[in-house]
Amino acid sequence: MQWACHNPAMLTFVAALACAIALDAAPDVLVSRQLAARAHLTVGDTVTLAADANGARARTFRVAGVYEPTPDPMRFTAERIEGRLHLPDLIALTADPHDPASAESVNTINMTLAPGIDTRRFIADLASQAPGVTGWPTARSRDDDPFVVLDRFHLAISVVTVVGSTAFLLALMVIRAEERRDTIAILRMVGISRRSLLTSVAVEGLVTAIAGAIFGVALAFTTEGLVNRIFQTRYDTALVFVRVTPALAWRAVAVAAPLGIAAGLAASWTLLRRNILSLFRR
Amino acid sequence: MTSLGLAWRTARRYRARTLLAVAGVAIIGALLFDMLLLSRGLLASFADLLDSEGFDVRVIASEGLPAMRVPIPGSADLADRIRGMPSVRDVALIRMERARVRRGADRPRVVTLVGRTQSGVGPWTVVRGASLSYGPVGSARASGERDSASLPSERGDCPVVIGRNLATAFALEPGSSLDVTATPAGIASALPSVACRVVGLVDFGFAGVDEYAVATTMDAFEAIVAEPSHGEADLILVASRAESGGGAAAARAIAGLRPDLRVYSNEDVVAQFNRNGFAYFRQISFVLSSLTMSFAFLLVATLLTVSINQRLGEIAALRALGIGRRRIAAMLLWESALLVGAGALLALPLGGVLALLLDHILRQMPGLPERLHFFVFEPRALVIHVVLFVITAAAAAAYPVWLTSRLPIAATLRREVVG
Repeated sequence: MQWACHNPAMLTFVAALACAIALDAAPDVLVSRQLAARAHLTVGDTVTLAADANGARARTFRVAGVYEPTPDPMRFTAERIEGRLHLPDLIALTADPHDPASAESVNTINMTLAPGIDTRRFIADLASQAPGVTGWPTARSRDDDPFVVLDRFHLAISVVTVVGSTAFLLALMVIRAEERRDTIAILRMVGISRRSLLTSVAVEGLVTAIAGAIFGVALAFTTEGLVNRIFQTRYDTALVFVRVTPALAWRAVAVAAPLGIAAGLAASWTLLRRNILSLFRR
Repeated sequence: MTSLGLAWRTARRYRARTLLAVAGVAIIGALLFDMLLLSRGLLASFADLLDSEGFDVRVIASEGLPAMRVPIPGSADLADRIRGMPSVRDVALIRMERARVRRGADRPRVVTLVGRTQSGVGPWTVVRGASLSYGPVGSARASGERDSASLPSERGDCPVVIGRNLATAFALEPGSSLDVTATPAGIASALPSVACRVVGLVDFGFAGVDEYAVATTMDAFEAIVAEPSHGEADLILVASRAESGGGAAAARAIAGLRPDLRVYSNEDVVAQFNRNGFAYFRQISFVLSSLTMSFAFLLVATLLTVSINQRLGEIAALRALGIGRRRIAAMLLWESALLVGAGALLALPLGGVLALLLDHILRQMPGLPERLHFFVFEPRALVIHVVLFVITAAAAAAYPVWLTSRLPIAATLRREVVG
């Protein structure tokens, strides 16, 4: 029947009438992937929808498709048990029969402004022409965007982590410099200058820091998919939680390189500033 | 000399590395401590905020936070029935509406206008002046009744309490006057202004950091929105009697009265918040706690291992002098404990300061209640902090201990001398 109704060449007049009645009686609904899984729905199934829990004024709909809800970072913890109807079907389902205005009311009107139109000006004009209607730009300003705040929070945590790891790096470099005390004494003895030794330490620090940063970026890059999969499974969403971008990788290297050089120089300077005899413990 | 004494001497001998390692552990430990405060902080703060109102059951008409007003039909009658229940101590009806406040030639401000009936417990803390007055004590009336037949605007009686933001913006004090105009969302309206009198400056528990809030009596509220008494509140707050089973029991009983409404005890609200709004911070706290612990373990273990490798000759000499494996192992454990312990101890005040900074950053989120905090101290956070660092100290010392316990004394000493 489904196939026949969608192939007009197969229809007789009576069958066409029957199909028209059947299709008219069951308008289409799209259901979210999560709702389809929860309610074991497939395309072509018939479902009954009502606006209240008592099932009053229920109507039958045909599942025309299953969709993946657009990932929304503001609602990633919410279960996306949703469906989409054509607006006239939704109004017919929910409108109050005793209130004629409810059949002409919607909650939101989305619009795209023509190029060059100032959003704030448009909203002000709208408010003056239609009192009670409030307009909002879909683009968030930095003042009311919670993700800007979260970004600052993550940045603060990153700074603390970098400061902590720099202290550890410095401790390791100090140990390493102590280990090479005798070597440095001999090198100084044979006439290699402090400047040359400091340069070699700086280069060593730079190479170590860049190698560490590259390893870190590679680790982040390889675990990115795993982290995303864990959180996507946990919250049943297609939202991408972690994304290692080239800009982010460059920033990591740019922070690590000067820190590595500085730690190496600071640790070695405690030895290099001494005279040669004290390096030999004399 | 005891193992602790030996460890202490080692720490003092290698002062620079000890200080740096302690500083590193302290900074990482501060982050860990903050993540432990964050792991339940928002939840604890939210529960505290709910409890501070004095009510422990909420009745609303729809789930979630509707953009439009969803009144509770027949709420005055319902409030009377709830008040008659033996498990209930107090009931308050709440209505909220958007309004505009004007004073003199100053720019008008958009405010959240709250109307509420009389109740024994107050949802705000009076900072200056007085709270709303509902007539003589003992004349508490049923929620739907009015003080008199006339509307407050007709009597020129519109007492309001205002938040500190609005008081600062308009330089208002108790006794000041201001004009309030309701601007209901979603409908076209041109309501007249009502002259109101400020009776007190208060701290609203749920008002946002940058929100202007005004509260008044239900009579005055209905005058401002120009509606006669329909007895349709947006929210009914109920205070239960603890001896009758508390909020959960009262919520169940109220839900039985009106199955069409949503009835939540404070515990239900907190549990729902924990499932939805709080999940992100719980996750990030767990992830960052795990990362910081792994980080602290790796770095302390690396420091100890590198340090031990440098002192193999010294340790072999100690063993040759007759100091046993156990004492050497105990010395290494003490070294680890000194580094991690001192760092973990320093982490507490450092973490406190850092928590204030991070809390300040997160509280800039739009629409967040002023009294809500993300980082809240609880004794359990301190206990977990200590336990985690004890485990870290022990685990970080494990490999160096194993290394020294297998150290061949003669071969090591010979290698040291030849080297």
